[in-house]
Amino acid sequence: MSESEDPHVVVTSERLQSVIEALSYASVDEFESCLSLLERSGELRDEFSELETAFSIFVRELGEAKSELNRTLAQQEAINRELEAKLETIEVQQAAIRELSTPIIEVWASVLCLPVVGIVDSQRSAEMTETLLETIVSKQARMAIVDITGIDVMDTKTADHFIKMARAVRLLGAECIISGINPGIAQTLTHIGVDLTGIRTLRSLRDALQLYLRETEQLVVHQHSQLARKLSSET
Amino acid sequence: MPSETRSFAIQGRSDVVVAGSQGRRFAVRHGLDVRRATELAIVVSELASNIVKHGVRGEIRLIWSPETPPHGEIAVEAHDVGPPIHDLQLAMTDGYDDRGPIDPALILRRGGLGTGLGAIARLADRLEVREEAGGKVLTARFLLR
Repeated sequence: MSESEDPHVVVTSERLQSVIEALSYASVDEFESCLSLLERSGELRDEFSELETAFSIFVRELGEAKSELNRTLAQQEAINRELEAKLETIEVQQAAIRELSTPIIEVWASVLCLPVVGIVDSQRSAEMTETLLETIVSKQARMAIVDITGIDVMDTKTADHFIKMARAVRLLGAECIISGINPGIAQTLTHIGVDLTGIRTLRSLRDALQLYLRETEQLVVHQHSQLARKLSSET
Repeated sequence: MPSETRSFAIQGRSDVVVAGSQGRRFAVRHGLDVRRATELAIVVSELASNIVKHGVRGEIRLIWSPETPPHGEIAVEAHDVGPPIHDLQLAMTDGYDDRGPIDPALILRRGGLGTGLGAIARLADRLEVREEAGGKVLTARFLLR
């Protein structure tokens, strides 16, 4: 048997040790150190060095694949961060939309105005009632003007609920004026035979405010005249 | 003429608002007058509110089919993965949900008057309900005149 056909390969334990060390570097992603170890021990040309070369090719490819993966991951992370920022914006806007759906403005001392625009469904109608009644109590309002100029169509039951809201306002000791009823809503309300007694309806928000001012002025004048009478009777 | 479909995922209250206003535009674009388009928007809004309230999650689809006799129609489909409607006839009664009358004191907590389905039935030309695997589809149809 010639030496080249010898089935055994003789390797010093030092070289073996160095390959094991190289592998342990690879296992913790230290590909550079791993490769330099493999190349240093690959100076001898024998069968074992072929294995070492194969190892180093494999490790180099693994290293490249890993760095490519890391790059992609970093990109993905950046995209995720961007997406999260966008979702946050959407959440803020959603909150804004919810708030804008029932804006209640104190247009004058103890006068609240609820301008209603957009689409009124049964749920929004229920929400508006809740918010309006709570605000009347918390602001101790004496009058609430519900302006529905921006609404051209309502379901009959929703319209009915609106009128009930006006009654509930009166129960709280405030007055409710509905302004800006358009022909379509007027027909809806009369069609369902809603009882409108005790509910003031005016053509516009402006008329509603004027009415309030006129009434409070009369009240002040009345109080003044009473005071004057009292004073004159005392003298 | 080809038909046109638009879909809106419904996950929260603001999606309801968006679907409603988009529904109105869609309807006007395909030939409903402003009044009927607003009625369609209310129907979209009621259906979407119901998805948020009972349906866990779902989708509103607006479908314009010009071939439907006599002059075409716009269908509003509400798909959800929620529980089936227990009793449709009951649910369509104003002030009722699908299991019985709604206590007025609970209206605010449940977030509605119990008149949504009734409103849809009143405003749309037709209302259909069918069960689907894992959910249901409500279809409200508006015929073009």
